[in-house]
Amino acid sequence: MHRRRAGKDTVLSELLVVIPALDEEATVGDVVRAAREHIGGSVLVVDDGSVDETAAVALAAGATVVRHPFNLGVGAAVRSGLRYASEHGYTAVLQLDADGQHDPSDGRRLVERLHEDSADIVVGTRFGGNYRVRGLRRLGMRTLAKVVSTRLGTRLTDTTSGYRAFGKRAVDRLSRTYPSVYLSDTVEVLLMAGDWGFRVVEEPVHMHPRKGGRPSSGPALSTVNFLRLVLVIVLHDIRRPMSRRGGP
Amino acid sequence: MSRLELFVVVVAVVNVAVVLEFVRRRKLAEGFALLWIGVGLAGVALSLARPVFDAVARAVGVSYGPSLLFTLALLFLLFVCMSLSLHVSRLSSRTEILAEEVAFLRAAQEPTVDHR
Ligand SMILES: Nc1nc2c(ncn2[C@@H]2O[C@H](COP(=O)(O)OP(=O)(O)OP(=O)(O)O)[C@@H](O)[C@H]2O)c(=O)[nH]1
Ligand SMILES: [Mg+2]
Repeated sequence: MHRRRAGKDTVLSELLVVIPALDEEATVGDVVRAAREHIGGSVLVVDDGSVDETAAVALAAGATVVRHPFNLGVGAAVRSGLRYASEHGYTAVLQLDADGQHDPSDGRRLVERLHEDSADIVVGTRFGGNYRVRGLRRLGMRTLAKVVSTRLGTRLTDTTSGYRAFGKRAVDRLSRTYPSVYLSDTVEVLLMAGDWGFRVVEEPVHMHPRKGGRPSSGPALSTVNFLRLVLVIVLHDIRRPMSRRGGP
Repeated sequence: MSRLELFVVVVAVVNVAVVLEFVRRRKLAEGFALLWIGVGLAGVALSLARPVFDAVARAVGVSYGPSLLFTLALLFLLFVCMSLSLHVSRLSSRTEILAEEVAFLRAAQEPTVDHR
């Protein structure tokens, strides 16, 4: 396949780039092409009930497309991607946004660090370079980062980043249990990784401003979501582990 | 603390305990868990802070404290019913979509035209 671009230990025929997408016809084509060019491996777009031409555009750009019959959320889309990887024998997954905010040229680094650090999950952090957030949002992200870092015993600065690489162990385990509740997914999955003794590291990535589509949420909703994340963290220890089917 | 107050507090605490147990078993999604933990805690608070509640009732012009409580409780339950109705509606429309998907998958798998 795309072995031509294989890095040190990375056999790229065993890498699956998973791109969750909801109504991103304006950007998903470019993202898929850039991923194929800069990262290699196979590209899977999980179309989560889009009402636009996302699936067709992704297909035309050379991706495999899995379509959910209706919107299930980013977490469920990532779980579908991980499950596809697990069932088709891929040993590494790179998760990447479809809106063009993640720079595909960072992808190789994330995957390489899986091997270099024998890590199970590599989280791409937006805070390595120019990216800044302010005010409440900053406070929220810092608090989350602090709490999660303490629990995992590794320094993480960006716990809600959707730019991540998963190694084989993580792919197999998370393909059944990846949490699907909106925003719990990114943070709770790190707590689960901690429970399982997985090694989680972070790597700086670039973050571009939005090229198209619509931004996800305003300040009010963000606050509610933050409170829900707090609940998820507080309750994590008393809750039973996620069942094989992935929760309620 | 009167015997009645004690009873109310016990009921409220049991309520919180039951909610937490459902959360622990992952029977409740986060959103609902947040709602019901709030209900449980509000129950405990209200039963402990009866005098405060009476004062609030008087301040908004309700002479009998418990009737304000009943009104609020009723409104809250209406709200819960409404949101459950929404959830059920969404679930049933999703079920229809799923059934359609299965029908088409099945049509693709097994012969549906009789060529004999
Ligand atoms: N599968 C799936 N993907 C989604 C959903 N919502 C958003 N996405 C995708 O997830 C990625 C990130 O979504 P964004 O809305 O950009 O979220 P964000 O980057 O955290 O926030 P902003 O860009 O600041 O608005 C994009 O690729 C979206 O297409 C969803 O419900 N399901
Ligand atoms: Mg984005």
